[in-house]
Amino acid sequence: MVSTVQTAVGQYLRNISNAVFSTFEGMAVTMSWMFRRPMTIQYPDKIEKPIEETLPDCYRGILEVDTGVCTGCTACMKACPIQCIRIEVGKNAETAERFLQRFDIYVARCMFCGLCSEACPTGAIHHTSHFEIANDKLDNLLLHYVPGEPIPVYKPKKDVEPVRQPKGQPYLAVRALCAHAWRKEDHPDGSAPAGGGPK
Amino acid sequence: MLEPKAVPIDGMLRINMGPQHPATHGVISFIVETDGEVMRKATADVGFLHRGVEKMAEITSYPGFMPYTDRVDYLASMFANHGYAMAVEKLLGVEVPKKAEWLRVIADELNRIASHLVATGTMAMDLGAFTPFTHWIRERESINDFMEHICGARLTYNYMRVGGVCADWPVGLSEKILVWLDHFEPIIEEFNRLITGNEIFIRRLANVAVIPAELAIDWALSGPNLRASGVPFDLRRSEPYSIYPELQFDVPVGQGTQGTVGDSYDRFWVRILEMRESCRILRQLLAGIPEGDFKAKVARTLKVPAGEVYSKVESARGEIGYFLVADGSDRPVRVKIRTGSFTAVALIEPISPGLMLADLVAVIGSLDIVAPEIDR
Repeated sequence: MVSTVQTAVGQYLRNISNAVFSTFEGMAVTMSWMFRRPMTIQYPDKIEKPIEETLPDCYRGILEVDTGVCTGCTACMKACPIQCIRIEVGKNAETAERFLQRFDIYVARCMFCGLCSEACPTGAIHHTSHFEIANDKLDNLLLHYVPGEPIPVYKPKKDVEPVRQPKGQPYLAVRALCAHAWRKEDHPDGSAPAGGGPK
Repeated sequence: MLEPKAVPIDGMLRINMGPQHPATHGVISFIVETDGEVMRKATADVGFLHRGVEKMAEITSYPGFMPYTDRVDYLASMFANHGYAMAVEKLLGVEVPKKAEWLRVIADELNRIASHLVATGTMAMDLGAFTPFTHWIRERESINDFMEHICGARLTYNYMRVGGVCADWPVGLSEKILVWLDHFEPIIEEFNRLITGNEIFIRRLANVAVIPAELAIDWALSGPNLRASGVPFDLRRSEPYSIYPELQFDVPVGQGTQGTVGDSYDRFWVRILEMRESCRILRQLLAGIPEGDFKAKVARTLKVPAGEVYSKVESARGEIGYFLVADGSDRPVRVKIRTGSFTAVALIEPISPGLMLADLVAVIGSLDIVAPEIDR
C-alpha cells in the first residue's frame, strides 16, 4: 500500500518536473531566436526598393496589354474561364483594315490564372508585377486599354521584331487615367483626391 | 444544414461551435451535445463554404477548369491540380514528358511540406501554443517564395496543365531549394524541442480521440490520418503514379509514440515524419532534373473523347480524386471531386462521445480539416 502511494507521488512529481523542463527547453529555443536575424520586413515602409522590382518575372500580377503588338485574335478572351476580358475588333469596309475598338480587362473579376497570357501568340497580354489594386471605386478596376481612338491591329512580319513597350508601362498609363486611384507618387503633396483615399 | 432543436435531448446542453470559430479551420459548425464538460456527441454541420466547384466544371472548358481546382484546397492546391490534369490526360491518352513529371512531383512535395507546416502549426496554436505557429509560418514563407518563382503565384498555383506544367524550371532555383533544405531539416529538430517534446502538449494529445485501424478503414479515412492509425496505405507507394516508383522514401505510420496507436499525437507525429520524407524526396529529385520538354503538345481547344475516368493522387490531406465523365465535347459532363477532409470530418461524430469539450479542437486540428475541401 505504502509503495503504491510512493509510486503515485513519484509519478506526480516526475510529471511536474517533465512539464517544467520541457517547457523551459521550448523557451530556450524561443530565446535563441532573440539573437538571430529577424525574417520580418516592415511593409511597405521599410523596403529597400519597390516591391514590384523584387518579384520574379513570371509573377502573375495585374494584366496589361501592349496594344502595339496585339493581333486582335481574341485567343485570350476565349481562354479566360471567367470572361473578364472584352475585346471588340472593328473592320474598315473600304481598306479591310482591322482595328481594336475596345480592349477591357475587369481586374475585379480576374483571378490571375495566367491562361490568357499563355494563349497569346505575340505576348501582347501579359502579367505585370503590380498587385496593389485597392481602390475606393469598383469602376476604377475596369481597365480600358484602348482609351481613345481605335488602334490598328498588329500584323506580324517575318524577320521584323515588333516594338514592345517596357513591362508595366501600359498598365501605369491606364491607371493614371483613373481619377480616383490614389497613390503617393501621383499626389506628392499628400492630398487625396475627392472620394476618399487614405488620409 | 441540420435542423436546430430548441429542446436538447435528455437534459443535455446543446452548443453550437462555429461557424465563425477560429479553431474550426474555416467555416464549419459543430453541434455539440454536452453533459457538463463531457461531450456526448459532436456533429459536424458542413456546407457553409459550398461554392459549387463541381457544377462550375460543367460550364468551363477543360483547361479553364484548372484554376478552379486551386480553390478546392487552398493550402495544398498543387495536388488538386495534379489530380485533375491526370484525369484529363488519361481520357486523352496524352503521355506526359519525363521532365514535366519531375517538375510536378517537386512542386507536389514542396506543397506537402507547406501544408503540413500549417497543419502542425495550427494544431499547436489551437491548443494554446502560439509560438510554434509563427516559426512554421516563417518556414512556409520560403516555400511560398519558391512557388512564386516556379509558377508566379503564392497560393493559387495553377501550375499544372493538361500534358505537363505551365512553365519551365527557373534557372538557379534548385540550388536555392537545396540551401533551404539544409536549413530546414535542422529546424524540424528545433521544432521538436520547441513543442513536440513538450509534456503539456503531449498530455493534451496522447490517448485522445483514438481512431483504431478498423474504424479508419470503415470510414474511408485516407492520407496521414489513416497512416497514423497504423495502416501503411499511401497512394504514392500502394498505387504509384507519376515517377514515385523510381523514388526512395519511407511511409511513416503511427506507432503509438506517446500513447495508443491512432491517437491525436500520432497524427501530429506522422506529419512531422512526412515532412522529413518529403525533404528526402526533394533531394533525390533536385539532384538531376531531366532535359526535355515541360509540356506535351496538346490542342488548344481540347475535345476530350467520351468516357469515364477516375484519377487519384496522395494529397497532404489524403486521397484527392477526380471522377470525370466526358461526352466528346469541349466541356466535362460531370466532375466529382473526392477529398480527404470530407471523410475526416464525418469521423468526428463516432469518435467524439466521451471526449472533453476542450479536446474537440485537438481532434479537429489533428485531423487537419480544411473547410473549402469539405464543401468544394
